[in-house]
Amino acid sequence: METSKDAKKIRVVICSGTTCYLMGASELFGLEKALGEPLASRITIEGSPCMNLCKGGEYGKAPFVKVNDALISTATVHKVIEEIRRQASL
Amino acid sequence: MQTFIEVDHYQCAKGNHRTEGDVFLSKKILPENRVISVLSDGLGSGVKAGVLSTLTATMAITCVAGNIPIERTAQIIHQSLPVCSERRIRYATFTLVDMGRNQEVRILEYDNPPYLLVRNGEMVEVPKTVTRLPSRHGRKTLISVSSFTAQPGDRIVVFSDGVVQSGIGTPAMPLGWGIEGVKRFLQELIQREPALSARELAHAVVRKSLWNDALEAKDDITCGVIYFRTPRRTLVLTGPPFAPERDKELASIFSVYKGKKIVCGGTTATIIARELGKQVQVCLQNLDPEVPPPSEMEGSDLVTEGILTLGKAAELLAGNLQGGTRAPSVKNAAHLLVEHLLDSDIVDFVVGTRINEAHQDPSMPVELEIRRNIVKRIAHLLEERYLKEVHIQFI
Repeated sequence: METSKDAKKIRVVICSGTTCYLMGASELFGLEKALGEPLASRITIEGSPCMNLCKGGEYGKAPFVKVNDALISTATVHKVIEEIRRQASL
Repeated sequence: MQTFIEVDHYQCAKGNHRTEGDVFLSKKILPENRVISVLSDGLGSGVKAGVLSTLTATMAITCVAGNIPIERTAQIIHQSLPVCSERRIRYATFTLVDMGRNQEVRILEYDNPPYLLVRNGEMVEVPKTVTRLPSRHGRKTLISVSSFTAQPGDRIVVFSDGVVQSGIGTPAMPLGWGIEGVKRFLQELIQREPALSARELAHAVVRKSLWNDALEAKDDITCGVIYFRTPRRTLVLTGPPFAPERDKELASIFSVYKGKKIVCGGTTATIIARELGKQVQVCLQNLDPEVPPPSEMEGSDLVTEGILTLGKAAELLAGNLQGGTRAPSVKNAAHLLVEHLLDSDIVDFVVGTRINEAHQDPSMPVELEIRRNIVKRIAHLLEERYLKEVHIQFI
């Protein structure tokens, strides 16, 4: 259940569908470690069985990550950290 | 409901040998719905014993499957096997169990410890016809043949002498575990756990024998179990339906199925969750770099990603799982899937045939096979190697 404390956290959802996992999602799950404190304690990480974004290419290429509502395609740990920093500083 | 014949075995090699000298082979002959299993023990241990027992078991299965009379089969093997020049005994012993239509069972024993039949938790003695084979080297060889009609719940337990002789010379059992010890063990265990599978029972017997030998086997230890049981059914849904209008049908197959339910595929899981109003939660513990993590969904025994997990499961099933290679303590989704499949008797695959075009990108690794092919490969392995009954339906 989402607590009020979690609600303020930045929600990171990593797609773990076939295409995303093959294209590097497995490395993205190590995000928390790469992020380090104090930002690591400001995020929650979740997996998604499949976001259904890889078909057709209109959203870009796998792997896909959502940082709150911002969608990142061809996601790398670096790109995701950038987005978390941007949102954290708002 | 029809009885299903679950056959499984477990074994461990003598001392520090890497190869077992015993072998347990089975063959299912589908048109006749017949199953033939053989346990053979090669003289000595290690590779040489393994080659001889494999030769013996293969000959026995081939002859009986070719409808050569069972006594004649024993003779052919008796005449073909080399004789040890020192001990003047044949190089391999065996027990053959032939299960035909209407649960008719015939068992041929050639120098192995006697098989045990457990019915309603009790040992049943089956009358045996003992025949002497023509001797060529001055040593008599006796074979025994018995037959009976199996009843639902019957278990036939066969083992090599490594089981009955385990613990020999120890203060607790100076003469070894012995056939009476094995009988008591089986009775107690089955009384405690009446629904114990063939797989678990074979494991339990081998573990106890190994324990008797103070965890270093003094001989090859092998146990095979045949269990006439009420079939355990498992449904595996994988892939979205070709026509999205059939998503509802897929969800209804899932919800009405009686048995274990597994979903292999992210999109498939999303469809089921959407149609049935459920949540899918990805488990982020113990992540594996090659196999995406499993998920949890209410009403489902396992939810996994599709192609990669199925491909890995096929690899695991093709390896020598039964011979003792155990899944690691940290299990990925493919290990979990394989465990569920092996703990089932009838597996119903429902395969959605819609292709994910992103997988057809030539820059994608070749592991991304067509779902139908992987399912066919898994089905073939389950039927041929693990004697399961498999049905595949495409949607």
